[in-house]
Parts: sequence; structure tokens; C-alpha cells
Amino acid sequence: MKVDTASERSLLIATDLSRAYRGGKGVFDIHLRLGAGEVLGVMGPNGSGKTTLLRLLATAATPTAGQVSWFGSSNARDPSVRGRLGVMLDQAAHFDQMTGYQNAWFFAHQFGLSDGLARERLDELFSWSGLGDARDQLVGEYSLGMKRRLNLIEALVHRPAILLLDEPTLALDYRAELDLIERLQLLSLTGTAVILATNDVHLAERLCDSVIFLHQGRIIREGQVPELLTEVAGSKEVQLQVNSPIGLENLRSLAAVEAANVDGDTVHIILARGANPAQVLAVLNGTADLVSNMRVRRPNLGDLFLKLTGVALPAGHR
Amino acid sequence: MMLAGTIWQRELVEFAQRRRALVIKLAFPLLVAIPLVLSGAPSIYAAMALTMLVAIVGALGAGAVLTRERQTGMTLRYRTLPVTPGRLLIERLSTNAAIDFVQLTPVLVLIALRHPSTFAWWPALLLTTAAVLLIGNLMGAVASTLSQSPGEVMLYVVIPLLPLLYLSGVFTPLSEPALVVASRLLPFSYLHEALLGALGGQPSLLPWETMLAGLGFLVGAAGLAGRLGRRVFESD
Repeated sequence: MKVDTASERSLLIATDLSRAYRGGKGVFDIHLRLGAGEVLGVMGPNGSGKTTLLRLLATAATPTAGQVSWFGSSNARDPSVRGRLGVMLDQAAHFDQMTGYQNAWFFAHQFGLSDGLARERLDELFSWSGLGDARDQLVGEYSLGMKRRLNLIEALVHRPAILLLDEPTLALDYRAELDLIERLQLLSLTGTAVILATNDVHLAERLCDSVIFLHQGRIIREGQVPELLTEVAGSKEVQLQVNSPIGLENLRSLAAVEAANVDGDTVHIILARGANPAQVLAVLNGTADLVSNMRVRRPNLGDLFLKLTGVALPAGHR
Repeated sequence: MMLAGTIWQRELVEFAQRRRALVIKLAFPLLVAIPLVLSGAPSIYAAMALTMLVAIVGALGAGAVLTRERQTGMTLRYRTLPVTPGRLLIERLSTNAAIDFVQLTPVLVLIALRHPSTFAWWPALLLTTAAVLLIGNLMGAVASTLSQSPGEVMLYVVIPLLPLLYLSGVFTPLSEPALVVASRLLPFSYLHEALLGALGGQPSLLPWETMLAGLGFLVGAAGLAGRLGRRVFESD
């Protein structure tokens, strides 16, 4: 009998996975495979299907077609599957009338931890997350950032084999984000597989081994992070802050411009390898006084997404 | 600090920590029952009002809580727990029904104190009350899947409840044979009978018949809750 070694090594395999909603939204024909210790980023703008995909992989939603296999089982309701997943969904839902510690204690026990083990791990995780002083405070009084950190504690407490995190750095301060990256790197080294749905380019580039780009529910590009970054290597991203709207047609007609997009009062332009940013200003001749600021920087995964789709990842994550 | 590791313990801890809600929940049934039981109202009217009270207490609580949980995303989190939806629903509804039972205990005690000679009806009254509370909770749970709005869910619970109470012979004695048979298929008719007996009225069934029916509905509701778990927790 032929042995599929790749399948044997994979903790999670999604095949032809689709979930369609009314109005044409959802995710379609998703294929992915995740091995022990791998960190996969799922990136795309709001509404691209990241959350839907993460819910499907986390057993929180049912596919309309295709299937997911976790640890060789495709039964999403199997307690032995769910017991090995650590999930942080997009909504920071908790029992608001209970304290942070009471919430975390409940989830720790749902995943089979004994009193002693739950106490030991929760003490460490509350201290790590910076929630130690607020552990006996009602969750209803927590800020969004605190609720998200409590979500992380609850996802990590049973030391799952696969971690599925939806926007894990949302509402976290920079210190907490760095702590999270460090922790996830350690977990990955010890064999935990991680899937992150994120628009945080900094997080994805520092943490992920590979990334998939979702656009309108479909994977439009996937690959190892260094390999994807070579696609924009040598090019430049020019950010222009403008006082009033400017037309993009002239910019896009330039051979040096690979993509241009407006996000609020900022125009993002991807320049081809070797192109000079001064060419952009030349095109704006006569209207250059509209530009209040100009910044040129090394391109990142967000710029590759812009180049591929013409759509910018949400502001604040670039 | 009270810690809860299981679903039923968590329900109890949350209930016990909400002091204001606890007082309101205990006071509300007493406000309805005290004038009815102490004033010597005719047993047929008192039994009707108390049957409606028990049915509404059971149905409204679970519907509102589950709708709120659906809105906040808590239902999605339940789906990721290593617990089958059937077990989850049975545990939650039976705990909610037990809390509702505690809420109604002062009323039952009041009836027992006011009519001590009707003790033969007490086992039937306890079982039929438990059955109606569990079925009410189940109706609320199913209704919570029909809308995102707690107000609308209340309507979806109350709209079928009123004709079911009528068909149970709660509002007026039924004489049509078909209606009598229909009433015997509904749990509210047995609670009404048990209340009539416990309040010193003239029920048409014997205490043991009513008790057996109460037990049957209780077991049936628990089984149905197990079957409806997926519908309640996995419908989007």
C-alpha cells in the first residue's frame, strides 16, 4: 500500500473547502495543509473570508462543500479533535458576569485539565498576559484588549496541538504583541501548529512560515514568506498623504507604477524595481501642493497583496 | 471565589453572582402567587394562573439567554468545546430548569402550607412542574434560533404557548372528545390537574396518573433536548 507521508505528517488538511453565504460571500475551493510546528498566515482585506475560513478550521462553522481533516479525522464534532484545538475567534465573547479567572477556569476544565494543572497553568498565563491584577475583576468591566488577552489565555491553557487565532494582535499594545510573537515562536518550536488570520503585516512577516492571500473568498496566492517577498523585492512603496483627492489614472498609466490605491487620505503606490519615486512627483506636476507628506519604504506582504489585487489591506496594519 | 469547571456548575455560579437578578427572580412568582393562594381564590382560577406562571417562567429565561449568547458570539465558542451539542443543551436546560424550580419553590411551599391535606398531590405537582419548566426551556431554546432579537424570541415563545395552554384545558374545561385527547398529549394539562388537586379543587385525573405523566414528559423532554442540541447550537 502506498503511504502518503505528507498526509501522515499533516495535522490539518482542508480539501475543496467551501462555505457559501447568501449574497455570494464566503470561502470557496480552499486547499491547505498544515504540519506540526508550522505557522500559516491567512491574509486578506475585511470581507475576504478570513474569519469564515478560520471558523471552518476551528469546527465553529460547517462547510457547504469539501472537508477538513484534523489529526486524520474529518468529524468536526469529535471531542478528541476539538480537545486538541486552541481557538481564539474574532469576537471576544465571555461570561461577563464572571471574573476573568472564573472564565479561564471554566474553559480549562472543559478541555480536561485537573484542578492542580489548571491552577498552575492559569497562574503562569495570567502573569504572562499582564492580566494578573485583573483576574478577579468581572469580565464585563474588561476593556476589549483585556478580553482579547483572556481569549489568548483560554486558547493556550490546554496546550493544543493546533492553534487557530483570528486577529490575535487586535486591540493589543505593542509590548503585548511582542510577547505574543515570542510565545508563538516558542510553541512552534515545540511542535504546535498555528494558523493566524491577520492583516498585521509585521506579525505575519516575523512569525509565519507561509502565507495565503484570500481575496473574495478564494486563495489568490500562497507561498513561503521569503519567497513571496522576493516578488516585491527591489520595488518600493511610496505613500503620499494628500490634502484632497487626486486622480489615480495618470499614476497608473506610468510604466514604473505597478499598483496604486487610495486608503483614506493616503495614496499607496508600488513602484517597479529600479523606478525613481521622483517620477511620481513629476506626474503630479501642478498638483504637487496637494501632497502634505511623502514616504518611501521597503515593500512588505501588504504591498504584494496590493500589487496582486489592487486592493489595500486595512489601514493600521501596514 | 466560586469556581465552576462544568457547564451546570457555571450556570449556578453565574446565577448566584447576579444578586439583583436573584432577588427579582425569587420575588416575581411570589408577587403573583401570594394573593392567589392566600386570598382563597377559586382553585380553578388559581390553578389556571399558576400553570401560566410556571410555563412562562420556563420558556422566557432560556430563550432570552441563548439569544443574547448568539448575539455576543458565545454560541460560536460553545461549538469549539470538546462537548457534544446534545449534552451541552441537556446540561444547560436542566440546570436552567432547576434554577427556575428554585425560583418557584416558595410558591409550592405556600400551596403546601395553605392546603396541607392535599399532600397526595405533592409528588405529582413537583414532577409536572419540573416537566413543564424543562419543556418551557426547550421551547425557548428552539425559539432562540429563529431570531437575533430577544424581543422577537419572546414573541415566538408566547405565540404558541397561549393556544397550547388553551388546548390543555387550562382556560376552560374541555368537553369535545378530540380536544380532551389533545389535552392529554400536552404537559400543561397535567400541571393544571396537579395544581387543581393541590389547591383543593376537583381534578379529573388521579394523583398517580398525573405523576406518571409528569415523569414521562420530564424524560421525554430530556431526550428531545439531546436531539435538538445541534439545531440550537449549530444553526447560523
